Amino acid sequence: MDRRRVNGPPGGTAPPVYLPPGRTAAAPGRTRGPNEIRKIFLKTGLTPSAAGSAYLELETPSINHSNSLLDRTPALKLTCTVHGPRPLPRSSPFSPRLLLSTRVKFAPFAARQRRGYIPDSGERDLAAHLETALRGILIGGRWPKSGVDVIVTVLEGEEDCPRDALATGNQNGRTGGWGMMSILSGCITVASAALTDAGIDCVDIVTGGIAAIVRQPAAPAQLVLDPCPPDHEEIIAACVIGYLQSRDEVTETWAKGNITALSDGKGTTKMGFDTLIDHAVEAAMAARRVLVEALKEGTEAKIQNSQAKPPGRAMGT
Amino acid sequence: MPPTPLPTLLSSSELSYLHTSLSLSPPIRPDARSPTSFRPLVAETDLLPTANGSARLCFADGTEAIVGVKAEVERTGVVGKKVDLRDSGVEEDIEMGDGDDKTVGSGKVGGEDRWLEVTVDIPGQRDDDAMVVFLGQMIFEGLVADGEFRGRLVVNERWHWRVFVDILLLSAPLTYPLPLLSLTTHLALLSTHLPAPVAGLGKDDDPLFNDDWDAAFPLYPSAYSKSRAKASIARPPITLLVISVGDNIFFDPSHAELAVADAVIAVTIASSTSENRNDGELSLLAIRTIDPPSRLSSLAAEVGQAGEDGAWKPKKGGMSRSVLRKMVGMCVEKGGVGQEVLGGLEGFT
Repeated sequence: MDRRRVNGPPGGTAPPVYLPPGRTAAAPGRTRGPNEIRKIFLKTGLTPSAAGSAYLELETPSINHSNSLLDRTPALKLTCTVHGPRPLPRSSPFSPRLLLSTRVKFAPFAARQRRGYIPDSGERDLAAHLETALRGILIGGRWPKSGVDVIVTVLEGEEDCPRDALATGNQNGRTGGWGMMSILSGCITVASAALTDAGIDCVDIVTGGIAAIVRQPAAPAQLVLDPCPPDHEEIIAACVIGYLQSRDEVTETWAKGNITALSDGKGTTKMGFDTLIDHAVEAAMAARRVLVEALKEGTEAKIQNSQAKPPGRAMGT
Repeated sequence: MPPTPLPTLLSSSELSYLHTSLSLSPPIRPDARSPTSFRPLVAETDLLPTANGSARLCFADGTEAIVGVKAEVERTGVVGKKVDLRDSGVEEDIEMGDGDDKTVGSGKVGGEDRWLEVTVDIPGQRDDDAMVVFLGQMIFEGLVADGEFRGRLVVNERWHWRVFVDILLLSAPLTYPLPLLSLTTHLALLSTHLPAPVAGLGKDDDPLFNDDWDAAFPLYPSAYSKSRAKASIARPPITLLVISVGDNIFFDPSHAELAVADAVIAVTIASSTSENRNDGELSLLAIRTIDPPSRLSSLAAEVGQAGEDGAWKPKKGGMSRSVLRKMVGMCVEKGGVGQEVLGGLEGFT
C-alpha cells in the first residue's frame, strides 16, 4: 500500500457490454428536423469503483453500408467517473470548500487520429469549460478540506469533417473546431449525472445544450439544435451552454463563430446571439428530461441493490 | 483551472461593502468611474525594430504587456491544394472555418488556421501552465474566429506567410490579464507590415519581395489607404472582460471588482465586414464564461455565516439569460462600448 499517492480502486472493474447499434438506411446529411436533438442514452452507476459514474451515448444518426471508413458517421460516447468527496492530502493548504478538479481525456482510439496520453491544449480547454459549468452548482461549503475529481473519458468523439481532415492533414487541433463544442455539451450532461450519482449536493442539475447556425449550399442559413458537424456543409456559429432549468440560469456559455453578422436571406429576421442562446436552452431542456429519467432509474436500481444485499455484507465492505 | 486564483486581500466585510455599492442603482465603483468607462491606458506601437509589428500597452493599474509580431515566408505544404488568389479574402462575406477550403471560386477564403501561432509568456509561470495555455487559446480563437485572417496570409499558391504573435506580460498578473493581452495584440497586428512582393505572384513562381521597408503593406490596411481600391475596414478582434454584480454590468473591472463579481464573461468582438449589415453593430465572434474568482478565493466567510446583512458570500448558480444578453448587447450595439474601444485604439496607430 503506497501511502504517498492516491491509490486506485482495490478491486477490479468489469467492462460494460453494450448492444450493437441498430442499422438504419444510409442517409446523407441531417435527417432530423431542425428542432430535434439526437436521442440520448444515459445511465448512471456503471463504474462500481467510483463514487459516482455515468455513461452517455448519442444516437448514431446514420450508418452507411459501404465499407469506407470515411462514410461512417461518428457517434459520441462519453463516460464520466466522480471520485470523492475525499480528503485533501495533508500537504495541501486549508480549503474551506470542496475543491473541484476536472479532466477531459480522449481515449487514444476515440477519433480517427490517435490521441496521446498527455492531455493536449484542446482537452485541457474542454476541462476548463467543464469546470466552469460545474463549479457554479456545487454547494462546496459542505465539504471543507476535501476534493472531488470529475474525469470524463471520450470513448468515441466526433470529428469535424473526416474527409477534409484526411485530405489536408489539418485537424484544426488548436481551436478544436465544432466537434469539441458538441462534446462539451455531452460532457456537461454526463458529469452532472455522475455528480448526482455520487450524492454530492448541488443547487440544481446542469445540462448541456448546443445550437448552431448552419448553411447548406444554396440555402439560407438555418438554426439547428444539436448539430452533428459532418452533416452540415458549413457551420457559421455555434453556442454551448450549461443550463439550470429550475433556476433559469446559465453557468457556462461558449459561443464561437460570426454570430451577429447574419440575416436569413430576406434581410428581415436576424439570427443573433439572443435566438442562438434560446435554442441552446431548448436543447438543454430536452437533455434534462433524459437526465432526470436516468437519475430516477439509477436511484431505483441502487435501492433495489441495497435491499437485495444482506445488511451485514454491505457493512463489511 | 483557467482563472488566476487571485489572492484577495480584502476582508469579508470589505467585500460585502464593495458588493453592495456595486449593486446599487446607479452603482458606485470604488474609483468613481461610470460602469462603462475604462481606466486610462498608455500605448505605443512599432517599438521593436526587429519585428514586423509590435505594441506595448500599459494599464492604469500598472500591468503592462508587450507584443511582437513576426512573419516568415513558408512553403504551403499540401501539393494540389488550391487557394483563391483573386481576392485574398478582404472583402469576403462571412466564412467560418470548419475545415479547409479546396475549391476555387466557391466564394471561400484559402489558408489554414495553423499559419498563425500565438504564444503567451507570463513571468514566473511555466509555459505549459494552465492559465498560459488558456490565454493563448482564447486570443488565438478570437483571431481566427472570423475565418478571414488566414486569407491575408496567402502569398501565392505555393507560399504563404506564417505569423507568430508573441505576447509577453511584463508585470505580475494583478488582475485577469486577458483584455490587456488582447488589446496589445490588436495594436501590434494593426501596426504589422509585410514586405511587398515585387514578383512571383504567379502560380508556380517563388515570390520575391521588395526590401524597402517603406514599401511594405500593412497586414490590416487602414480605411484611408490608397493601395487597395475597395478599402476594407477589417480590424483584428478584441476581447473585453465584462462582469455583472446583481443587475449591473461593468466594463474593465479592477482587481477588487473582479473579486466580488457574480459572473464574468469574455466577449470577443470585431468590426463587422459583411455587407448585409449596415446598422453599425459589431460582429460577435466568441463568448466564454469565466469562473468568477470569488468562487476560488478562500473566504472564511462561507463557513457557518449567512444572511443578507452578514458577510458576503459568493453567489451560487449561474447568471440569468437576461443579464448575459444585456452584457453582450452592450458590447456589440451601435455606439456601444465595443465601438468606443475600437475607436480609441485606432487613435494609437
